[in-house]
Amino acid sequence: MSEAGGEVAVVAPRGRIDTNTSGELERTLFGHLGAGETRMLVDLSGVEYISSAGLRVLLKAEKAVHQKGGRLVLCSLGQPVREVFDLSGLSSVFAIEDTRERARERFAEGK
Amino acid sequence: MDTPRGGDAAEYARLVRHLDSLLEVSKAMASAIDLDSLLGVIQSEATQVMDAERGTIFIHDEGTGTLWNRVSGGLAPGLVRVAVGTGIAGHVAKDGRVLNVPDAYGDSRFNPEVDRQTSFRTRSILCAPIFGHGRRLLGVIQVLNKAGGGVFTRDDEVLMEAFASHAALALDRARLVEAFVEKQRIEEGLRLARDIQRAMLPRRFPAQREFELMAEVRPARSVGGDFYDFFVDRDRLWFLVGDVSGKGMAAALFMAVAKTLFHAGVQGESSPSAVFAKVNRELCRDNDDAMFVTVFAGCLDLRTGEVVAGNAGHHPPYRLGREGAVTKVAGPSGVPLGVRDGDEYMGGTLRLEPGEGLYLYTDGITEALNERGEQFSDSRLEAYLRGASGATAAEVVRGSLAAVQDFVGGSPPFDDITVMSLRYLGG
Repeated sequence: MSEAGGEVAVVAPRGRIDTNTSGELERTLFGHLGAGETRMLVDLSGVEYISSAGLRVLLKAEKAVHQKGGRLVLCSLGQPVREVFDLSGLSSVFAIEDTRERARERFAEGK
Repeated sequence: MDTPRGGDAAEYARLVRHLDSLLEVSKAMASAIDLDSLLGVIQSEATQVMDAERGTIFIHDEGTGTLWNRVSGGLAPGLVRVAVGTGIAGHVAKDGRVLNVPDAYGDSRFNPEVDRQTSFRTRSILCAPIFGHGRRLLGVIQVLNKAGGGVFTRDDEVLMEAFASHAALALDRARLVEAFVEKQRIEEGLRLARDIQRAMLPRRFPAQREFELMAEVRPARSVGGDFYDFFVDRDRLWFLVGDVSGKGMAAALFMAVAKTLFHAGVQGESSPSAVFAKVNRELCRDNDDAMFVTVFAGCLDLRTGEVVAGNAGHHPPYRLGREGAVTKVAGPSGVPLGVRDGDEYMGGTLRLEPGEGLYLYTDGITEALNERGEQFSDSRLEAYLRGASGATAAEVVRGSLAAVQDFVGGSPPFDDITVMSLRYLGG
C-alpha cells in the first residue's frame, strides 16, 4: 500500500475506501505519522470510490499532520473520486495535485 | 493406557480411578462455563489422581511469549511467569512434547527460583503441553513430586496428555465464548445507535394547508448517521437533511449533536447559512476525529413560497416543477460542518409556485447498488421523479423508496437512505 519515496511517505490505496476499508487506510497513514513521517503524499489513482468514512480518515490525517507542522497532499484523483471531493466542498480543504510529480514539487516548495 | 493384565486387580483399580477422574473433569466441562473453575478442577484432579503434591496449569501469553499460572493450586495466581524456552515448563512449551523428569535438581533445564520463592522442594516433575485448535500452544500442565518419593510412570504420562486435551478444550471454548460476547457487545452498540437515530427523527408530519411534508430514513444494517428534521416557526417552515461521515455509535451521537445544535441555532435567524456558521463553530471544537456532517437546509416562507437555502457539502436537492420538470437546485455549496473552523456559508434563494416541490435525499439512494454492482444513480432517481409529477409528498417518498428497492433487489442496503419530499400548496 505504501512505498519509500525519499523524505515523502507515499501511500497509494486501491479499490473502494468505505466503512469497511477506511480503517486500514487510517492505520497506514497514522503508522507513518507514528514513525515521525509528517510529509505524506496520498496517490488516489487506484481508488474507484470513496465514501464519507474515507473522507473522514483523510481529513483526520490531514489535521494530525498539520498539527505536527507537516503536510499532506492528495494526487491523481480519478473522475468519480474528484466529483466526491468537489460535491462535498472538500477539494477546497485539501491540497490536491493532478500528478505525483506535481505533488512532489509541492513538498519541495513547502520544504 | 496400558491394558490391565487379566486378574491384576490393583492395575484394574488404578485404571478405574484414572477413568473416574477424567469423568469428573468431563462432568465439570459439561456444567461449568467459567474458565477459572474448570481449570481448577482439571488441575486438582490431575494432582490427586497422579498422587502428586502440587499441580499447576500455566497459560501461554502470546503477546509476551511467557507462561503464567492462572488458577491457584499451592501458588498464588499470577505468581509465576516464565519465558517460553526457560525452565521445565518453558522447555515443554517450546518442545511440544510431554516431559517426565525423575530428578529436578539433576536436570540442567530446571529453574529452582520458584522453589526458593515458595519454600518448596521439587523432586520429580511431569509436564505436558496444552495444544488447542490448529495446534496453537495454549499453555502447559505440570504436576510435581510423585507421592512416596517415587517417579511418574508411563501411565501417568498418557493420563497427563488426557488432562491436557481437556484443558485445551476448556481454553478453546472460553476463547469462542469471549469472541461471541464481543460480537454481542458490538451488535448491542449498533442497536443502541439505531435507537438513538430513530428517537431523534420527528415522526409526526404537519398537516397544514400551505404545504405537504414527508420524510423517511431507511436504516442500513450498519447504522449510519443520516437524519432529517423540520419545524414550523410562525410563518416559516425549516427543513433539512443531513449525513454524518462514517457509521455506528460515533456517527449516531454526532448526528444527535448536530441536529440539536441546528435546532437551537435557528432562534432569531432567517437563513440556513447563518445557522450553519454557528453549528460549524461548535462542531469544530475538539473534533480530532474529524467527524463531519453534510447538510442541505431550507427555510420556506409559507406566505410567498420563497425558500432560503443553504448547502454544507450535501447533494443539492431536486426541484419538482409543474408538468414533470425535474431540475437540480443550483446554488453555492460550502464545506461540510465540522471541518473548517470559522467558515462562513453562502445562501441561495428560490421561489416555489403552488404545486411545486423539493426532493431532498442522501447519497445512500443514488449510490445504492444492485446485484450487478451498478448504482441507482442520479439518472434513475430523476427518471422516477419525472414520472411522479402531481404526486403528493407522501407518494413521492414511498414511490422513490420502492423504486430503489426494486432496483437493488436482494442486495442488502449498505448505507442509510434518507429522503424528504416537500410540496408547496400556496399561501
